[in-house]
Amino acid sequence: MSGSTARPRRILVAMSGGVDSSVAAAMLVDAGHEVIGATMKTFCYGDEEAPASTKTCCGLEGIRDARHVADRLGISHYVFDVEREFTRDVIVDFVEEYGRGRTPNPCVRCNSNTKFRDLFRRGRALGCDGVASGHYARLDRSRGRPRLLRGTDPSKDQSYFLWGLPVDFLDLLHFPLGELTKPEVRNRARALGLATADKPESQEICFVPTGNYRDFLEKKLLPTHPALQPGAIVDHAGRVLGTHDGYSGFTVGQRKGLGGGLPERHYVLEIRPGAREVVVGPRHLLDVGGVVVGDLNWLARRPRPGTRLEAQTRYRSPAVSCRVVACTDDSLELSFEEPARAVTPGQSSVFLLGDRVLGGGRISRVVQNHGD
Amino acid sequence: MHGNAEPIYLDHAATTPVRAEVARVMTECLAGDFGNPSSAHSWGRRARARLEGARVAVAESLGAEAASVYFTRGGTESDNLAVLGSARAVAGGRRPHVVTSAVEHPAVSEAAARAAVEGARHTVIGFVDGSFDMGALRAALCRGPALVSCMWVNNETGLRLPIERIAEECRRHGARLHSDAVQAVGKIAFSLAEIPIDMLTVTGHKIYGPKGTGALIVRSPDAVRPLHFGGGQEGGLRPGTEDVAGALGLAEAIRLASEEATGESRRLAELRDAVEVRLVEQIPDVRVNAGDMDRAPHILSLGVAGVDPDTLLAALDAEGIAASGGSACASGSSEPSPSLAALHPGDTAASLRLSFGHLNNESQVDRIVDSVVRVVARIRKLWGS
Repeated sequence: MSGSTARPRRILVAMSGGVDSSVAAAMLVDAGHEVIGATMKTFCYGDEEAPASTKTCCGLEGIRDARHVADRLGISHYVFDVEREFTRDVIVDFVEEYGRGRTPNPCVRCNSNTKFRDLFRRGRALGCDGVASGHYARLDRSRGRPRLLRGTDPSKDQSYFLWGLPVDFLDLLHFPLGELTKPEVRNRARALGLATADKPESQEICFVPTGNYRDFLEKKLLPTHPALQPGAIVDHAGRVLGTHDGYSGFTVGQRKGLGGGLPERHYVLEIRPGAREVVVGPRHLLDVGGVVVGDLNWLARRPRPGTRLEAQTRYRSPAVSCRVVACTDDSLELSFEEPARAVTPGQSSVFLLGDRVLGGGRISRVVQNHGD
Repeated sequence: MHGNAEPIYLDHAATTPVRAEVARVMTECLAGDFGNPSSAHSWGRRARARLEGARVAVAESLGAEAASVYFTRGGTESDNLAVLGSARAVAGGRRPHVVTSAVEHPAVSEAAARAAVEGARHTVIGFVDGSFDMGALRAALCRGPALVSCMWVNNETGLRLPIERIAEECRRHGARLHSDAVQAVGKIAFSLAEIPIDMLTVTGHKIYGPKGTGALIVRSPDAVRPLHFGGGQEGGLRPGTEDVAGALGLAEAIRLASEEATGESRRLAELRDAVEVRLVEQIPDVRVNAGDMDRAPHILSLGVAGVDPDTLLAALDAEGIAASGGSACASGSSEPSPSLAALHPGDTAASLRLSFGHLNNESQVDRIVDSVVRVVARIRKLWGS
């Protein structure tokens, strides 16, 4: 129901060189489609020093691997340079969000903008009537407009990254891996003799291959930016507990890196960029009662106040039940049935009903306690 | 979508298929005369005879002396040898001076850059109002002895450099001239007997010969140092066991290309003009690169505003039209080509190169024009320009 359709199509498939997109391409070929591979060159490692072992996707090695796989499958393959778009839509946003004391999801930005928008445009230019990727998500085409569903394998489900897709893209989209588990995908890759079968998963943000995004931010922000200046670490009552050397190094829920001298088991509760303060406190204070979400995108009808649904506020966190308090064009307020932990401004909140992805947005702020 | 229609190859400036006559000569040699030309026995003598026969054939086709033909492994190697090898040969504590045009192939421009790293002076001659800056060349040559390297036909645009006038200028100032003639052989009928060029680069694979074959014509070998070491072959300028079959293939390809140059260039010019006129008519905001300049007949380079270059080439390929950007070597990078920047400064249009040859004929013109017009319009619409 999710992957291919009966009618053979000409499908442009995003190929990163990794195992998932390679198997996705192979499955579409098996299904009889005319498949064209596309690798988006999103940025150049150039001056960023990337240890070879972490270059698992997006970079030059990815392009080479994708070419090998395409040759193996006997399909056309093209490299599209989208560095300018990627820098504008993803990297600039990433740096600005950290500068504002928020914690961005660059992969969501990439999927919502660069990856799929640029892929769709190129697909149309190449006369394709379908576009595919190796995401673990499904599309239910059994009634009317396709519905975006979570991937079958809960440990790999990537629907969290897809809420920002323009709804009219769903008609032409294909996610061949949606019903597979990762071991199944690796087995298929091996059976196909794909060079990438045992390639490690890409974990880091692709344009920060070292994983040290603080270093990255220091290169991209002006040295005088407030996010890089020292400030106070305070507790929830406003008592100064210590100092930090720039709030850009922190994210809500974080425990490590708070320095010595703090009471045991303190967590980052909040970042106050105006005052350059990092607020810390005990774990139970990470629980919040609700959330306000902006930059909304709906893949289903917009819910009315009072509607019950589930919200996932971090990748790999379970979805929690909640109720719609208010919903406008620009923002949605949710009240959690049970307190939710470490809800972080800048991160995505995805709205779900069971397996179905209704939409999502970016968390603008948390609401401490809805009972009040 | 091209459906079942045969794809059309419009990338002859990148490379060409080996023609049947060439393949036959090479196959005979590979199977029979496989000997090492340096060996003293009969196999060696036979191979040596074939090799020297190829040398004579190349010389005759180009109007040069057989002794001036040095076989290499291709155009890049010949260019490197001519430029860097000449710079390194400058003796007596003098600082070498390498003068190149602004539209050279990287095999020349990067060899010149390397010479500069090693201490040479490097002067680049640009273009003024669409013409090679002869005044700047003259000024550079007044500074003393120099090696000038100017290609005959530019690989990206088809632009013909005024090589006769450049040669005359060099002769007058006592400068040595090297010319990369890779895109000129077979498209322009010429004889080195009539033009005072000191060194000339030729290659096989642009003229229906084998890849990995080439030659550097060198009139005064003492003025060039080898870049390879380990044997005395090719007068010591290009040591290594000779590729006899490759040399024969190269010689046959050059012989046929030179014989056919006049007729073939007329045919290609007609094809190129037919496509050019209609594309310029039917695509708004398109420019013919080097359009007002003297051009070789086989290359049509277009500056197409408002399209993404990668997408343009991919979409044309999907339509069955095999073209390239500036040059095949630079594809995959979106760096602006130095050649195009020299000819059309400040321009950001995507460049599309259609290069014509044996695989093209008049019956393809309609489909070429139709595909390019349609794809450009489609991409411009999608990109909102």
